[in-house]
Amino acid sequence: MKRTVDVAVPLGPVHPCWKEPIRIKCETKGELVYNTEVELGYMKKGIERIMQGRPWQEVMFLAERVCGICSVVHNMVFTETMEAISGIAPPERAALLRVIVNELDRIQSHLIANFSYCYTIEHETIGMYLLNEREHAMDMIEMITGNRVNTAYMIPGGVRYDLQPEDENTLRTTLDLLERNIRRYTQMFEDGPMIGLRSRGVGVLTRDEALEAHAVGPTARASGIDVDMRTSHPTYQKLDFKPIIRTECDNYARIMVRFEEIIQSINLIRKALSMKSDGLVRGGGICQGGEMRYSGEAPRGELTYFVKADRYGRVEEIAIQTPSIMNIDACSHYMLKRARSIADVTSSFISSDPCVACTER
Amino acid sequence: MTEYLYEKDLRPLKYNVIIGKRQDQTVREMAALLGIRIQKLRLLLIERLDMSNLENMPARFEAGLSAMDSKDPIADALGRDLFVRYVQVFTKSEMEAAYARARSLADGGLAHDDAVGEGKAMLREVISP
Repeated sequence: MKRTVDVAVPLGPVHPCWKEPIRIKCETKGELVYNTEVELGYMKKGIERIMQGRPWQEVMFLAERVCGICSVVHNMVFTETMEAISGIAPPERAALLRVIVNELDRIQSHLIANFSYCYTIEHETIGMYLLNEREHAMDMIEMITGNRVNTAYMIPGGVRYDLQPEDENTLRTTLDLLERNIRRYTQMFEDGPMIGLRSRGVGVLTRDEALEAHAVGPTARASGIDVDMRTSHPTYQKLDFKPIIRTECDNYARIMVRFEEIIQSINLIRKALSMKSDGLVRGGGICQGGEMRYSGEAPRGELTYFVKADRYGRVEEIAIQTPSIMNIDACSHYMLKRARSIADVTSSFISSDPCVACTER
Repeated sequence: MTEYLYEKDLRPLKYNVIIGKRQDQTVREMAALLGIRIQKLRLLLIERLDMSNLENMPARFEAGLSAMDSKDPIADALGRDLFVRYVQVFTKSEMEAAYARARSLADGGLAHDDAVGEGKAMLREVISP
């Protein structure tokens, strides 16, 4: 049955606000959007199928190619899944170095998410400021791991490279600079009347709706749900980690959660640097066979790997559940339904930090 | 599912999503709960859910299972919230009709399993009339 609406507005697949191709179909009545539907399928990689039958040494590199923004956490979660299957534990120094690189990755991911939001609501000045700050975080990742995007830093039993003392000083100086600047830009975001008008009360995702759609990460935490996989991670438990929660449930809350988490990540890195003792960074170990479901906290939320490996460590079956799958669903079925205009659709969608590359693996 | 004037046929794309490892496991679990054939359920899901819903189906299913509070055993056994609010397999009215049938039979003295079985039979009618 064909259904005619007032105006059916397709946003995308190519749209100035989207980082990746996705199509949102909006049913509108006047300016009001009363139904939306997301259409995927423009960049399906089939990476899970490519991973099947390959040894973990190859799958490790494929895993971090699932996403170009949060590649470090894919590397980390896959590695920790293989470690959990094989009963390998990384040395303490390596575990803390993992936290440092993972938090640097979170900082750059949150910065690009907030940049996208500012760009979408046409506040390009803060957007560009945030991109400049992201470069500092990227430089630090490059300094520690040798690469900016696909780092392959973590391996079962440890990490590839140690952190040099001179690099540690550079890292501390950069963290001070980042904290100073991020606090300034957060203040600008909080006080800016135009930003407030476009963000407060827009794209509301209530707590119940977030639970129904199983929203995760900053999207869920901005709706008052106390969920963060880092709380159950043994290294983060040593760092006395507490998730950041807000209850406004709107676009503003989601952006502010990310700003607050950037400052939290800076402090976590400082704490990890001070706790780190001398010792090995590669403990070794042999990957074995088994089956495991393992979750870690990516910048966008809970990232889960289901891996079944044979006794040689070859991946027989794998399924990846990325956070954007849940957040895009929560966005399309709840946040966008009450949008007062098409312009709010783009900003609400971007506020949930969607990653189509992750969703379509 | 909304149909638009410019709509193209998304069924092959949706089928690709639904046969993914996690999605397939979830469909099999749901089919076992309802006592129906997998292909019939797949067809209904493709007709009723959009692509982001299908991608997120396993997580929604898990969220729905964990939200069951065991206050009403018949509602939980039929998946009144699970199959309406979390994974939108049935409409509210379809589920309410099945629930009302099962509830009235249970109140009339029929064993719990038999009453739930009658409710599920009504749900199966929706999927495969």
